Parts: sequence; structure tokens; C-alpha cells
Amino acid sequence: MKTRLFTLLIAATAVVPAAGQSSNKPVTLLNVSYDPTRELFKDINKAFAADWKQKTGQDVTIKQSHGGSSKQARAVIDGLEADVVTLALAYDIDALHDVANLVPLDWQKRLPLNSSPYTSTITFLVRKGNPKHIKDWDDLIRSDVTVVTPNPKTSGSARWNYLAAWGYALRRPGGNETTAREFITKLYKRVPVLDSGARGATTTFVERGIGDVLINWENEILLGAKELGADKFEVVVPSVSILTEPTVSVVDKVASKHGTRAVAQAYLEYLYTPQGQEIIAKHYYRPTLASVAAKYGNQFPKVPLFTLADIVGDWRKTQKTHFADGGVFDQIYQPGR
Amino acid sequence: MGAVRWGYGIAVVAAVVWGPGGAAAQQSATQDTLGMSLTTQVNDLDQQIRILQRLRELAADSAAAAAKDKVTATAGAKDGFSLKSADGKYVLKLRGYFQSDGRLYPGTEVPGGVDNLLIRRARPIIEATVARYFDFRLMPDFGGTAPAIFDAYWDGKFAPQFTVRAGKFKPPLGLERLQSATDIMFAERGLPTNLVPSRDIGLQVAGEISEGVFAYQVGIFNGVPDLANGGDDLSNAKDFAARVFVQPFKRGPVRGLGFGMGGSTGFERGTTTSTGLPTYRTPGQQTLFRYNASTTTPANTVFANGKRIRLTPQGYFYTGGLGLLGEYVISRNEVTQAATTAELEHSSWQASGSFFLTGEKAGFRSPTPKKPFDLKEGGLGALELVARYGELSLDPASFPVYASPTASVQKAKAWGVGANWYFTRAVKFAVNYEHTTFTGGAATGDREAENAVITRFQTSF
Repeated sequence: MKTRLFTLLIAATAVVPAAGQSSNKPVTLLNVSYDPTRELFKDINKAFAADWKQKTGQDVTIKQSHGGSSKQARAVIDGLEADVVTLALAYDIDALHDVANLVPLDWQKRLPLNSSPYTSTITFLVRKGNPKHIKDWDDLIRSDVTVVTPNPKTSGSARWNYLAAWGYALRRPGGNETTAREFITKLYKRVPVLDSGARGATTTFVERGIGDVLINWENEILLGAKELGADKFEVVVPSVSILTEPTVSVVDKVASKHGTRAVAQAYLEYLYTPQGQEIIAKHYYRPTLASVAAKYGNQFPKVPLFTLADIVGDWRKTQKTHFADGGVFDQIYQPGR
Repeated sequence: MGAVRWGYGIAVVAAVVWGPGGAAAQQSATQDTLGMSLTTQVNDLDQQIRILQRLRELAADSAAAAAKDKVTATAGAKDGFSLKSADGKYVLKLRGYFQSDGRLYPGTEVPGGVDNLLIRRARPIIEATVARYFDFRLMPDFGGTAPAIFDAYWDGKFAPQFTVRAGKFKPPLGLERLQSATDIMFAERGLPTNLVPSRDIGLQVAGEISEGVFAYQVGIFNGVPDLANGGDDLSNAKDFAARVFVQPFKRGPVRGLGFGMGGSTGFERGTTTSTGLPTYRTPGQQTLFRYNASTTTPANTVFANGKRIRLTPQGYFYTGGLGLLGEYVISRNEVTQAATTAELEHSSWQASGSFFLTGEKAGFRSPTPKKPFDLKEGGLGALELVARYGELSLDPASFPVYASPTASVQKAKAWGVGANWYFTRAVKFAVNYEHTTFTGGAATGDREAENAVITRFQTSF
């Protein structure tokens, strides 16, 4: 009797996981992303789900989570079970390896173009008519100009903004780290509000009416100018800016736990397909596929772009020098002044 | 500063508009300049206001986000020390209780009983809730001769009507046994508790319907002797236990009325070394009955060998400061000694009552005093008087083959009175007097009556 009872229990526990392994069972992914990609991934998710259904017969639902890139990375490290992350910069995904070993060290080599399926840059949004006559980075440190940009400690976008300004200052005649530091110091004295993410900064500038210029992702700027109020804002393209490279990765430990590795990988690969690149371009991100980039070439201003490697190095060095506790940003930014 | 600038601007405007002399053209130019200056100031002020509003908005967002992630730490007599996640899905409670007793046996020479001060119970309790639905409880006891695990179980609380418990816990039988040791009327439970197990290892399904009007528990257990704190099973056979309890007027004027029935059935196969049989005690915690056992002639040792059935109707009634509790237990065991086997049926019952002199409401759990002990505020706590009477009858067929008529009694009758002083919900002092008379149990006939005075100082949180 006792033996029979245990046999039944073992049989019952064996049946449950076996049932869960059906390949056509609906599956759900969580994409933890940065602030301004809500609309982009809403469309990507819809298109990918249809594509995946057609190819495999399996229903897939992709849930989204958005916030400041570094805050999002922290949330994943703290237990938010993201199957994939699509973050603003590589360092935030490096942290998933360094702190929690959720991805392998070489995660960036697993997808083309260093796991960066699209790029962008940093530009300005000013109020209609450009009343402060803002044309380039130098105008942002004028005493009569108020600047809106998010907090580099929490926002990937803000770090790119900071580095674009830093790179500009370095590349000015006679520019060096000392002059760049002076420039950055003056710039952040013009910033009265530090939002935690790019979307929050857009809200501050567009909806709350604060400041004369918003520094932000090009995609967010174009969206703000064309869809949030074309009669209220103008885009200003600086003389030079930085090539921003948002990155993506499967979160290996979570995907393995959920049994979603294959669909997660396919989801990210979809971003590189012509269909995915079309959606990316429509949301004002710069596509990396040449054919799509050519098709949407007129949508994006022609601006000379330098890379992170040109001005600082890799992200680990950049983080340590500029954004880690006690780094340059902490030294130059004093709230309330 | 802004007010000064505004005042200056207004004064200048007034001077220009109403001041004597000046060419019209000069006035116009000055007005334009001042107008622009004022516009600039208004715009600056507007920006300052917007910035302040946004900063306040962001601060509120940050505060809300921080509150969302905030772990709540609390401390109190009811739930001990607890940590709770912001979403309430994870809770860790550190609780416990401690009972320091004195036992005196005035005027009697109780077999084996000496006046004694002892640590009756010292039980730290760890309770946790994991992912909202799953609870865990661990309660060891360091108060006996050796540390022992009393509670170690997890609960799956899927709905009030359906919960699952697995591990070591109290089987659903005796009413007073199911009452926490911190809440019972007397320092020691009454005679009927002898006939039900203390803890057993098993799996139980339980639930409450209509918010506790009807409650049920049903489970499968290893099966342990009466009064035992169970561990490993002695045989493959299992005990099944079930209990139903009804509080029909829970929402009405006699909401304190509850009654029910518990029962268990199973088989036990003991041996001469692990007999699977109990020993029974007086309210003064002295042994009054034990089965025959012999280390020199093992064949004379009695052991469990067959069916074991318990049945226990029970009930309570609480109204105002008055509390009444009663239960009756039958415990039937098949036992063997050498070649002889018998089915022995022991029974016991008790009725106990309590009354609060200080106005608190009586209940199945200890009260919170209306005026907790506080010398500054004049609070003295709650005072409760208690009394009870009970009997235990051992099957006459037990003697002399299975139990010695000169060492074990055939019947015990016990009455007790006492007082409980609740300083606070967490601190209690009790003093009880228990008088127990016996039939049989001595070479000369009846064992001498037992008088026991038990004091207890209890802290619980």
C-alpha cells in the first residue's frame, strides 16, 4: 500500500513537467528596456509575434518594462526576471554579468554589430522659433539658457548626452580633459532638473514647459518635434555628436529557467531583419541594415559622429572615470547650484 | 529678492505714468524697456515655479518608488518582530514564548514528584510567508530535558476554504491540545489531553467555510501514541485524522459558541523495545499510568499491536468575560503482551471555566488587557479566575496483565482552581492549585491524593 502510494506520487510529479514541455504551448517573454523604447517595442512585439506564430505555430506574448537604463539593469540584477534586455548602453548589460552572472562575459559577441541592432545620436530640441538662438553645444553653457537632460547616474540617455558634450569639448580647438571638464561643469550648472530617464526629461521639457533646450536621443527629439507638438518645437542638430549604440541580449539564466531561450534569441534576431529594421526606422532609430538605412536616409540629419572609443575608451573605463560614485560627474555636479 | 525687484519695477512704472514732466517719446521708450524687463522677470518667475513644481513631482515619484520597495519592520506582542515586503508577499516573523514554572506538592508524597523550579517551555518561533501563498513555521523547544522540534511545517494557503499543511504539527483532535500553550486556562492541560497526541508528522487539508462558521481538517499522519511528540513511524501503517468544528452563531449574539468532533483511526505495530504506547500524567505532571515493561524479561513488555481509534466530542462557549470549555476523549488501543492481546479503551473528560474580573472578553486566545500594566498610568493588567474538573478512566482490563495495579491508577479525578494575571498581552503570571484523587495505583489500595501548586511566569511575543 505504501509503495503504491509513493509510486502514484512520483508518477504525478513526473506528468506535470512533461506537460509543460509542449513546443506549441503559448510562451511569454519579458523585455526589460530603457525609457523611450515603449512605442518601438510595442510595434516590434506585434510584428514578431505574428512572424513567430507563422513560423512555429506557437503563440508568444512579449511583456515590456521601461525605465532609466541603469535602473532597469539594477532591477534585473535584483530579480526582475527578464528574458531579454534591450538597454541604452553596453555597460548596463555588462553589469548583469559582473554583478549577478546572468549573462556570459562575451554576451556582446553573440549578435551582429556588437549586439547593437540600431543606433542613434544626441541632438537638441528647442522651442518654436528657437528664441534663445541655440545652434551648437557652446550655446548650452550660456548664462541665459536653461538645459534639460536626465541624470547620468540612472539614465543611459543621460550618459550619452554627457559624453556627447564631453566629446565636443575635447574636439574644440585646444580641447583637452581639463577644458572638457570645465565645459561639462558649466553645462550642468544650466540644468535645474535631473529626471531619472529620457522619457521623463522629455516630459519636463515638452509637457511641463521647463527649459530652453532638451538634450536627448535623436529618436526622442524627432518624436517630440513631429508628434508631440510640431508647431511648438524645433530640432537643432549640433555641429558634431556621438554615435550611440543601444545593445540587446538574452538573459541566459532567466531564459534557461523559463525555457524561453530559443524564442528570446529569435526575438532579438528579428531586430536585424528587414522587417524589424523598417519598424526601427519608423520610430526614428537609425537602422543598421544598409538597405533600410538608405531608404530612410532623409529622415536623419547629416551630422558628424564620433564614437565612445574616440573620446574615452570602452564602457567599463567610461563608467569608472565618469559615472561611478566619486567619478567626474559626482565631482562637477552639485545639486541646487 | 523677487518682491523687491517687483516693487522697484512697479515704483518705476508709477513714476513714469504719474510723475511730472518728460517728453512723450521718452515716456514711450522707457515704457517699452520696462515692459520687456517685466516680461523677462515674469518669464523667469514662471520658469522658477515650473522647476519647483517639477522637482516636487519628481520627489513625489521617488518617494512613491521608494515606498513601493520599502520593507516594513514591525514589533509587537501579537506578531513578534516582523519584516514584510512592500507587496506583502514575503513576511518573516520572529516570535517565541518562555515559561518558567514552580511546582510544589504540599502535604503529599507524590511518587517521583519533588518540589521543583523548572523551565517548562522555551520556544523560539520562526514564521515566514513566501510568495503570498506559502507559510512556514519552525518551533523548537529548549525547555525539556533535551531540545526537540515541536512545529516544523509549511502551509499552502490557497483559499480560506482550502489550505494544505505538511510537516510536523498538532493533529486535529483534542480541543485543549489545539489551543496554544500560551492561551490555555491552566498552566497544564487537563486529563483528556493525555489521550490525544501532541504532534505528529503528516499531510493535512483544512478550511473554513462562511468565515469560520464551519471548519474542517482532514489528514494522514505517521501515527503516534497518546500524548506523544511524534517522530519516525514504527510501521508502514498510517493514521487518518479528521475534525469538524461548527460555530453556528458566529455572526450572532452567541457568537462564542462552538462545538465539534475529532477522531482518528489507524494501526500501530510496536515492539518490546519501541512499544508505541503512552504514559499518562496528572495535572501536576506526575505519572499515573504506564504499561508494563521489563528490561530483564522483554517478553513481559506490553506493546501496541493493532487498531488505534480516538474519538473526541468537544466544545466551548465564550460570552463576555465568561469562558467555558469541555471535551471528552476515548482512546482505544490494541495491545499485546507475550501471547495475550487485548483492546483497551481509556476515556477522559473535563469541564473548565474562566471569568475575567477586569472586564476583558474571554476567548480561545488570550486577551489584551483593557489597562495593561503601567505604574505611571495606573494600569494593572487583567485578572482571570479559572476552575475545572476532570476524570480519567483506564480500562479495567488493563490490570494486571498490561499495567500494574499497584503502580498505575485505574481512575483519576481532578479539580483545580487558579488565577491568571495578564500584565500585558505578552506577559502573564499564573498560579494554580490542583487536587487529584485516585482509584488504585498503590500497594495498599488507592494512591495518596495529589496536591499540586503550579506557578508560571510567561512571556510571549
